[in-house]
Amino acid sequence: MSAATPAGRPRTLVIIPAFNEVESLPVTLDELREVSPAHDVLVVDDGSRDGTAALARARGVTVVSHPFNLGVGGALQTGFRYALEHGYDIGVQFDADGQHDPRFLDDVVGPVAEGRCDVAIGSRFVNRSSYRAPLTRRMGMLLFQGVVRLALGQRIADTTSGFRAYGRAVMVVGQHDFPRDFPDAPLLIMLARRGFRLLEVPVGMRERARGRSFYTLGKSLYYPYKNLLASLMAWLQRPAGS
Amino acid sequence: MFLSTIQLVTALGATVLALYVLDLVRRRRLSEDFSLLWLVSSAVIAILGFSTGLLRGVTHVLGILYETSTVFAFGLGFTVIGLLYLSIRLSRLSQENVLLARELALLRQSCEASGVGVAAAGAPAGARGPEANRS
Repeated sequence: MSAATPAGRPRTLVIIPAFNEVESLPVTLDELREVSPAHDVLVVDDGSRDGTAALARARGVTVVSHPFNLGVGGALQTGFRYALEHGYDIGVQFDADGQHDPRFLDDVVGPVAEGRCDVAIGSRFVNRSSYRAPLTRRMGMLLFQGVVRLALGQRIADTTSGFRAYGRAVMVVGQHDFPRDFPDAPLLIMLARRGFRLLEVPVGMRERARGRSFYTLGKSLYYPYKNLLASLMAWLQRPAGS
Repeated sequence: MFLSTIQLVTALGATVLALYVLDLVRRRRLSEDFSLLWLVSSAVIAILGFSTGLLRGVTHVLGILYETSTVFAFGLGFTVIGLLYLSIRLSRLSQENVLLARELALLRQSCEASGVGVAAAGAPAGARGPEANRS
């Protein structure tokens, strides 16, 4: 799926990590084509076994397939690598499950394109939206809001949003240095510590349309430990290569 | 609170190990996944070492004769769990390695069929033919 970009406008690639999303991906792709035909789309098939890649190709979308599952962070790194090799200026992380509304794509891309920030985070909680997370997830979100505020002195209401636009400089770093499974609070802390500017943008989000949530019981128990430790380390760490 | 010499050595050793593991994670030498068991085991042993009452209580509950044997038992238990975890991860890495080898072979075949030359496996990086040595 490729469209001509008006001269002077940054080239934007919508990166959709997908793992066994054959139920929800068709709706997501059709909606993107209808609402935002100007943006190129890349599906990163993260080791799916349900025909996700074939389905995306059948809809004319560029697909990169991993031979096995690398996690959402690993899939995004592949997307960044593809974006950089093909001359894109902005990479937009976009969920395959229908939670993200493509009508807000330009709202998320705009601040990065205008140079007002390096990472724009589409936030469910800056303004009220119809999205309601389960109680345990809301508690986790509050915890990591506090962690990010403590580490950076900056309030970010939605640290787990997967609807983000990354500028080219961020993708250059992110292709090598990016959390593999939970790219949330530790990622934001790491990017801010490297001097990248973060900005939250109000967006609306929806409940997951189809398919299974990424957050199983096991992941819900492991997530707080992993992210608290990773957040502390992101705050303490030297940048990779230094 | 009276701590015997061996308790102190055990507790301080476990504390130093925990701090070293944290530093390895900070320096990206160890991922958070692998750090969990190290941190839990060293924390448990440090707590047992610093708390004589707790150590005696656990020893009594488990029916162990000597308190030092309790610390060894926990250490051995964590070692077994760690080895099992490594075995599971190694098995997964081995399977993924096979998948990668297969993907590489298929990609090589696809390149050759398209007329794109691909260096043979085992050729040294940057190796040049005899023509390169002629001035």
